[in-house]
Amino acid sequence: MTENKKPLSDRAKEVGKRIGSLRDFLEFLEENGQCITWSDDVLPEPDIRNIAVAAGRDSMNGPAVIFNNMAGYPGKKLVIGVHGSFTNLALLLGHPKGTTIKELFYDIISRWGDDKPLLDFIEPDEAPVNENRITENFNLYDLLPLYRINEYDGGFYIGKANVVSRDPTDPDNFGKQNVGIYRIQVQAPGEFTLLSIPAHDMGRHIMAAEKNNVPLKISVMLGNHPAMCMFAATPVGYEESEFAYASQMMGSPLRLTKSGNGMDILADSEIVIEAELMNGVRTFEGPFGEFPGSYSGVRKIPRFKVTAISHRNDPIFENIYIGRGWTEHDTLIGLNTSAPIYAQLKKDFPEVVAVNALYQHGLTGVISVKNRFAGFAKSVAMRALGTPHGTMYLKNLIMVDDDVDPFDLNEVMWALSTRTRADDTIVIPNMPLIPIDPAAEIAGKGHRLIIDATSFMPPDKLGSDSKIVTPPAGPEIDEIAKMIQVLQNGENS
Amino acid sequence: MISCPRCQAAQDKIRNEHQGHDAQGDLVWTIYHCNACEFTWRDSEPATSIDYDTREAFFRVDPEKPYPVIMPPAQYK
Repeated sequence: MTENKKPLSDRAKEVGKRIGSLRDFLEFLEENGQCITWSDDVLPEPDIRNIAVAAGRDSMNGPAVIFNNMAGYPGKKLVIGVHGSFTNLALLLGHPKGTTIKELFYDIISRWGDDKPLLDFIEPDEAPVNENRITENFNLYDLLPLYRINEYDGGFYIGKANVVSRDPTDPDNFGKQNVGIYRIQVQAPGEFTLLSIPAHDMGRHIMAAEKNNVPLKISVMLGNHPAMCMFAATPVGYEESEFAYASQMMGSPLRLTKSGNGMDILADSEIVIEAELMNGVRTFEGPFGEFPGSYSGVRKIPRFKVTAISHRNDPIFENIYIGRGWTEHDTLIGLNTSAPIYAQLKKDFPEVVAVNALYQHGLTGVISVKNRFAGFAKSVAMRALGTPHGTMYLKNLIMVDDDVDPFDLNEVMWALSTRTRADDTIVIPNMPLIPIDPAAEIAGKGHRLIIDATSFMPPDKLGSDSKIVTPPAGPEIDEIAKMIQVLQNGENS
Repeated sequence: MISCPRCQAAQDKIRNEHQGHDAQGDLVWTIYHCNACEFTWRDSEPATSIDYDTREAFFRVDPEKPYPVIMPPAQYK
């Protein structure tokens, strides 16, 4: 994707330099009116869930929320919604409030580069994460202000952990070290389950450890640099490093150090839990309210035991609300889901303008493309289904013209209303599909739908006698729209 | 008598997991864990989560029934 790479703006560089940790970012959000502190006393359930859902309603401008007065957790801090709105992402990337999703999409595309790491390594005894070290009598219930995220979850979940693992058969390989977000259910004061599947890098590591009967050590990072969370949720190649991607995206170095069990970890994370797989053990886990907005069921999954914990003074526990959308999960991974699909399509079809795969991790996608000839958009749709993410996720695809912003649903609906013929949709039956699609007839398989909402071209005659109104558009109108916002809401809008 | 809100396992299967206190040291809530179905709950939660009869029946668990195993290991321990 190097052909899309552009130098960062001065503002983006400045923000990249300033933000080295979650704490830095929360301070920056607060200065910009995008982080609030909920200091009234709350019960862990249902209050935290209720407040998280309410704060997440505004996907454009919702704030992060810090809780510092939770019943039974005196002195503890929790933050949710750090990636809960596009404005929070805009600020992270050095943009002002009011930046559109489409502008953020193009910015992310321009930051995707080759896997060149910008990493500073510091000694463990100089790392803030090691300000406190626990090596026995672990109690996750005491360390973390845990709570039930959705009312029928099977227990208390850590939903935003960045988990570092190394290939147990090649432990010295930095590239094969994986950082991913996996759901973690606390099962005992010093034990937890972690859900992965064979398709995940972590799943591979678990299977390799058990097959060869070697230990699998992991480090669970909580409360991390905000770029890390965005990239831990992005599928990069098995031999590519998420640390490298995250640092590239910010254009400034990430500070790494070594965990006690030999992983590379962020030196400025709030908490790092070191743990080891309990080989051959499977434990009841779930249900858990997942990103399609439904619960995934009870299963028996791998279990880990804690071997050490490091944490900063007064650590902040960062968690996420996830469930029926819109939620922080959608904002966190949406743009980084869309960007690789765009880059892969663009290689073969330069006519592709933008890809919106924000909805439920891309279960519905909208692709904007300039038709080269009649039916061309359908060929592009087929190619999208063959991208790595498309293979399992792109269930419904809406193809729109290059004059339609796929991130503006009013425009997409206009295209559907005026450019779709009911007999010109395609259903491809019995394709692979993620197992947690609640509409699946059989989990793991499903039909795909392509709706061609692009305009007609010769030899097609239908619709050729209508002419489209071309209202004024472009950068000049975008600028006027922003001026109107400022006139309406002041400079901070 | 405490029993599991999800699988109705009897008290001898229930672990007293952790107690939360306020800044003055007074007990605020207790977290329990069921060794039979691995359900975790806090006694201060709404009844829809922790009362067997109020919870939706759909979410009941029978630990004796087979459940899907993720990445079945070659050797169980």
